[in-house]
Amino acid sequence: MSTVETPVKRSALAPLGKPLAAAGGVLGIVAALLPWVTFTLNDGNWPDKSTLQFFDAPFLVTGFRWHVLVLGVLVLVAAFAPTPSKGRVVRALGWGLALVSFVNTAYITVKGGGLGAVTALDGAVAFGGVVGLVAGVLTILAGYGIGIEPVGEWKVKLSTPLAYLVLLVSFGAVLYAVAAMLTTGGVGSANPYAGAIFLSFLGFAGGLLAALSGIGFVRWISALSEQHRVFSVIVLAACALLLPFTEAGNEYWMTVAANIGIYAATAIGLNIVVGLAGLLDLGYVAFMGIGALVAANFSGAATAYFGFDLPFPVAAVIAAVVAGIFGAIVGSPTLRVRGDYLAIVTLAFGEIFTRSAQNDIGGFTNGSNAIPGIPALSLFGAEFNKSFTIGAVKLPAGVLYYVLIVLLVAATMAVFANLKFSRIGRAWIAIREDEDAARAMGIRTGKMKILAFLIGAMLAGLAGAVFAHKNGTVSYESFKFLESVTLLAAVILGGMGSIPGAVLGAALLFVLPEKLRDFEDYRLMIFGLALILIMRFRPVGLIPDAHRRAEMVERADENAEEAHLEAKKA
Amino acid sequence: MSVLLQQLANGVIQGALIALIALGYTMVYGIIQLINFAHGEVFMVASYGGLATFTLLPDDLKKSPAVALPLMFVGGILVAVVVAVIMERFAYRPLRNAPRLAPLITALGVSVFLQEAVRVFYPNAKSNLPYPKVFPEGNLTIGSVNISWTGIMLVVLSVGLAVILQTYINRSRMGRAMRATAQDPDTAKLMGVNPDRVIVLTFIIGAVLAGVAGIMFGGYLNNINIDMGFQNGIFAFTAAVLGGVGSIRGAVIGAFIIGLIKTVAGQYMPGGTQYDYVWIFVVLILVLVFRPQGLFGEPERVRA
Repeated sequence: MSTVETPVKRSALAPLGKPLAAAGGVLGIVAALLPWVTFTLNDGNWPDKSTLQFFDAPFLVTGFRWHVLVLGVLVLVAAFAPTPSKGRVVRALGWGLALVSFVNTAYITVKGGGLGAVTALDGAVAFGGVVGLVAGVLTILAGYGIGIEPVGEWKVKLSTPLAYLVLLVSFGAVLYAVAAMLTTGGVGSANPYAGAIFLSFLGFAGGLLAALSGIGFVRWISALSEQHRVFSVIVLAACALLLPFTEAGNEYWMTVAANIGIYAATAIGLNIVVGLAGLLDLGYVAFMGIGALVAANFSGAATAYFGFDLPFPVAAVIAAVVAGIFGAIVGSPTLRVRGDYLAIVTLAFGEIFTRSAQNDIGGFTNGSNAIPGIPALSLFGAEFNKSFTIGAVKLPAGVLYYVLIVLLVAATMAVFANLKFSRIGRAWIAIREDEDAARAMGIRTGKMKILAFLIGAMLAGLAGAVFAHKNGTVSYESFKFLESVTLLAAVILGGMGSIPGAVLGAALLFVLPEKLRDFEDYRLMIFGLALILIMRFRPVGLIPDAHRRAEMVERADENAEEAHLEAKKA
Repeated sequence: MSVLLQQLANGVIQGALIALIALGYTMVYGIIQLINFAHGEVFMVASYGGLATFTLLPDDLKKSPAVALPLMFVGGILVAVVVAVIMERFAYRPLRNAPRLAPLITALGVSVFLQEAVRVFYPNAKSNLPYPKVFPEGNLTIGSVNISWTGIMLVVLSVGLAVILQTYINRSRMGRAMRATAQDPDTAKLMGVNPDRVIVLTFIIGAVLAGVAGIMFGGYLNNINIDMGFQNGIFAFTAAVLGGVGSIRGAVIGAFIIGLIKTVAGQYMPGGTQYDYVWIFVVLILVLVFRPQGLFGEPERVRA
């Protein structure tokens, strides 16, 4: 699938593009209406009546078969209606089809103890999964056959009220998607197929999103939201605050969402250091740990270092300041050390933190016993970890933490956005692009780099302080190298230097483990593999920053050109 | 005094182990400017490969170290080389022209993947596994200092292989190609050097050395676990940076310095062995701040 092979594939498949798409779409629709399992599995009926003997309502498809049906219809529409960058859209839909079919078929096969579960039993046949897979593959090939043009560009200009309406609708859709993503498959391990349902949904949502991005809709919306920044931020915050009122409004999901929020805030802080200033930090989670430890020691918990408790806002500020001081210390080698060497210095710092915390340095960390029993926050007598009633609506427990964390994330975003478009932010980007040129232009690079570390560390420290109270326990175990890697992966997966990207990346990386408890054992392995694949196929991240995107795209074009020239030579 | 001498001896042995791994880091970095985080895992995988080879041997061969040990070396090195070549081909090569961060993240991913793959698929890999007793037994006693024969074997192997490697790179045709590619890949290409071959060879050499280290690690410490790759990998990378990345002599000397700091600081510094780790990194940071190119490195070229 590399750039070099594409022209070859295109020429061979070109005349077959549309017929393949037609076949893929039709087969997708057929697959949705076929049974997928030949018998009831050990853990119960496969979701949504897709088993043979329960297959009583062929025209009432729900769940994943509904997704397959939608994708199939969309393939037909995209292939035969005038669609911008048709090949790209068809390919994206094909991947969605293939992924949904693959996940379900693989699960059925594994749970049913072999291929017998999907093919035949006593002459009864359930070809749904196989047909779905074939449809997916055909559609992907069709995409290449039609040809992968550049992402479409929309020149539509909207009047302000209309733009507001469009933004409102799209952010509402995002809210709906997030709530659906959190709740698909139910809470924890209640549903034996939770993991499969979730992955299948992810395949469906991913395919749709990629198709939308293919016709240029996503780029158009992000340009629009950039244009009306204040309005979008307000709507986005309002949407986030509305989440407790959706299906996801129960204690479990509030807790998960709050945890995601904490990591998202930290990831945004890391994004300043890595994404804007271009300084790779492999020990970043240590700052979060420092913040958490400071807050824990001032919390009045039994094993805290200080025997008194400070009000949370004061403790949080102290936590941020202490973390910031450490950030400046860690950042100071940047005056002399560059690039990969700097990465190793930060990694060394992270390891020093872990080791010291493990050995209860100075009596601050309580070593491997951790600091338990940190009291929950309370405001006007309302305990943050209890449920809460406004008027007639009873909100689930943990909702106040969720609100606090949404505000925290919004504040971090505001800091990030303001910095990014300020003189300081431009200085950072200049340093990232070419440090020597930046210095020649009069930027005091040393001061700026230390400032990046300082601000990033302060944000992490703040998030850490909330983390301490939210979880009630602070142990060095939560702040090890793997957490640093995960945060870095969140930033890169989302797209470096991009704000929504960092939130999306953190959400994906910290919600997946919740959803994939079935694969507890394989989780980290999949994580490693995912890192490799992302870097291979989408190094710019899911929501690339506009500036970053420009660089990467240019580079990709150059590569393509080179490949083209080489192909010509040969 | 005898305690100090004993710790110095231990430090040299640790240094020899780290040196074997550090050579792989330094060579790869020298040629493609990539911190191959997964190199520590190659070392770990080799150790498990050696153990698996031993487990698969028929019982009568298990009892004769003269046959079993070489076979373990062959098995472990083979596994390491296969893993390294696959890694280079499928994870790093497609990213040759990508922005600098991308291959580094990939390396982290490969590292996590390999470690987890061994943990999940190797039988009982979740706990420490005992290593077969096919290594030279007993100690060499000089005064009050005891040095195990396995440790001596490790030092001899490490220094010997480093010297051979240095000679190979300075004298052979392929070594010249490597140096050329490290200096200027484009010009090297113009001169008829095939960069892909050079890079693969670099990975293979690194894997062979890591393979030797993996087997010897098991022999010296008597048991292995899946964390050994990450820890020793970080030590080794620190050694490579300390000595100046890209320099073979630097990597070896840096490794011995790290080994000595670890044992001596563990003995004499406040906090004992629990903080030995910390002192290594403190020294690393100080060296990088005051001599960023490392002890034997050349100042970093600014790439356009």
